[in-house]
Amino acid sequence: MGRPPVYGSALAVATAVALTAGLVPLRAHLSAATIALVLVVPVVAGVSVGGFAAGAVAIVTCFFVYDFVFLPPYYTLYIARNQDWIALGVYGVIVALVARVVSAATAAQAESQERAAQLRRLFYLSELLVRDLPVPELLETIVSSVRSAFDLEGVTLLLPANGRLEVVASAGLPLSPEQAGHLASSSGPVSLEPAPGETGEFQAVALVATGKAVGLLAVRRSRGARGDQELLRAFANHLALALERAGLREEAVRGRLLDEMDALRRALVGAVSHDLRTPLATIKVSASTLLESGVPLSPGDVKELAELVDAQADRLDRLVTNLLDMTRIQAGALELRRQPSAVPDLVDEALAVLGRSGRTGDIRWRAANALPLVDVDPVLVRQVLANLLDNAFRYSPPDSAVTVYARRTAGDKVEVRVADNGPGVPAEDRARIFHMFNRREAGGRGGLGLAIAQAFVEAHGERIWAEDPPGRNARGARFVFTLPICEHDADEEAVGREEN
Amino acid sequence: MVRALVIDDDRALLRALRVALAAKGHEVLAAATAEEGLANLALRSPDVVVLDLGLPDLDGLEVVRRIRSFSEVPVIVLSATALEDRKVAALDAGANDYVTKPFGMAELEARIRTALRHATPPAASDDGLLRVGPLELDLMHYQARVDDQPVELTAKEFELLAFLARHAGKTCTHQMVLHNVWGDSYGTEAEYLRVYVYRLRKKLGKKGGQLLRTSPGIGYCLSAG
Repeated sequence: MGRPPVYGSALAVATAVALTAGLVPLRAHLSAATIALVLVVPVVAGVSVGGFAAGAVAIVTCFFVYDFVFLPPYYTLYIARNQDWIALGVYGVIVALVARVVSAATAAQAESQERAAQLRRLFYLSELLVRDLPVPELLETIVSSVRSAFDLEGVTLLLPANGRLEVVASAGLPLSPEQAGHLASSSGPVSLEPAPGETGEFQAVALVATGKAVGLLAVRRSRGARGDQELLRAFANHLALALERAGLREEAVRGRLLDEMDALRRALVGAVSHDLRTPLATIKVSASTLLESGVPLSPGDVKELAELVDAQADRLDRLVTNLLDMTRIQAGALELRRQPSAVPDLVDEALAVLGRSGRTGDIRWRAANALPLVDVDPVLVRQVLANLLDNAFRYSPPDSAVTVYARRTAGDKVEVRVADNGPGVPAEDRARIFHMFNRREAGGRGGLGLAIAQAFVEAHGERIWAEDPPGRNARGARFVFTLPICEHDADEEAVGREEN
Repeated sequence: MVRALVIDDDRALLRALRVALAAKGHEVLAAATAEEGLANLALRSPDVVVLDLGLPDLDGLEVVRRIRSFSEVPVIVLSATALEDRKVAALDAGANDYVTKPFGMAELEARIRTALRHATPPAASDDGLLRVGPLELDLMHYQARVDDQPVELTAKEFELLAFLARHAGKTCTHQMVLHNVWGDSYGTEAEYLRVYVYRLRKKLGKKGGQLLRTSPGIGYCLSAG
């Protein structure tokens, strides 16, 4: 809005003084009209710089200067000639009109500049709002950008939650609790009393989108600052729409998430029922054959069927135990019983769980020399190994061996790798193979075993992953997991174990 | 003696089935992968194939399709999921029947027996007569008889019965029946079938009705035992 009137007034007076000084030596030779014309200049200068108020000062100054200095008799306010009365009167009217026109033009220009600046700010803010920001970030952006765009002391955004308005974001000076409480119980625009000892004025603007209030914006200006009421209201509408849109988007995201969780849960249920039914199938076939009368079974057959029932019942029991452990881990209810354990022993035990021994030639066991003890829950890690080995045996061609390789890494971990020569895991599935309960999707792999292995490894705070086969033509899947090294001296532990 | 090829990746089940089927005097060929199973099928021509749908190396449905590309051997699929869509897809791909895990040997044997009895689809004789157990269908005159007693059927009822009879021993999915008896624009109207099969059972009487087996959510099978 231009500079204050005092500058304009000063400029007008200075111009008038300068012109007067220049004109005084010539005044006898110049007509009253010429001098009047020259004395319009200070008025125009004053008005353009200082607005109409400065113009008024200029008019009065020049009017008296004209009369006092240039209209004879000089240096009196008395006017001798009648024609000079007319000149002075016409001068007065003209400068008044000039001052009005010029000040109106100046004001219009300033206003249009201001409008342009407002539009630019509004545009900038709108642009911020249409970016798809996450809601918390959006709220922060709103309050900070409103504060800077409108040059406010404080901006607070309140959104409805639990049936009342709650402060969700604020920039600059915050609201006092009483003010927030007052706003929370209000509806529509309200003014607020400044808290004791505070200056500035408060205003709250309702954010209304599609006829429904979605929140409240409380702003605090510095005292005396002019407000851009219309702009603030216009922007409040944008804000309301942006908030509504963000809310809808969050809802959509939540819906998609629920769908995904639902799909995962269904896959899990499917995998559980598949893995439970598989051993049951063998039990049922064996038991129904044993029960059927009139079937000639050799003693060897009876023994084999009974053994199958026994082994599959164990397998079912293990699966149920694993599932319960996994659920308890996920619920945070399972505490690890860590004890110093030797990886080779764990591998042997895992093979025993699977009903295999390390001597059958279908497993190659390699370990770096001086493998340290690991500090793990042996029951869980044995199961991790059993699940990975079971998977590897299942997908290996009949005449190829499964390799287990353990080594100490630089980061004080023991890394265990289980590799087979089967079809392998496609590169794009490696990251999610542990959650692919659906065997068909996972190319037969996956299922509960890997999910359980992951849960047990992660319960130790360690990692498990599927690795690329080494080299372009290499085949097979490689599952790797890490285990923490026992912090005690390995020798000491070994002695301790002997004594037990 | 029946030579049965069992393809399942669960070695325990393979062992159990081998003992159970061998005790009944059958010969068992066991395969743990689809590749092994297909090779056995081509080389040793089993009388019946028992196929698990969840094999590690090849999708079970694809195995059924490959078997059907060169062999008409009866295929009974084993499925460990309770979901119907896999079984329906396997039947549509050409499997004869299905059994859900876990199953008793009596059930599996009954399915094998049925599949073998109808291993060659019944063909109408020269005079247009089709026989399935006590049921006799005169395809030329749209007349049905059970134990030589005529049964009054509408044209659609007869066509439905004739379709199932031509595929005796095979579980026909709802979609198969609807496509072939009602037309290509039908396929999901399983409730039509329920009504027609209900009426058929009533008209065929106790003896005839027993021939029609319902597989809930999947389809129907007409067989003589």
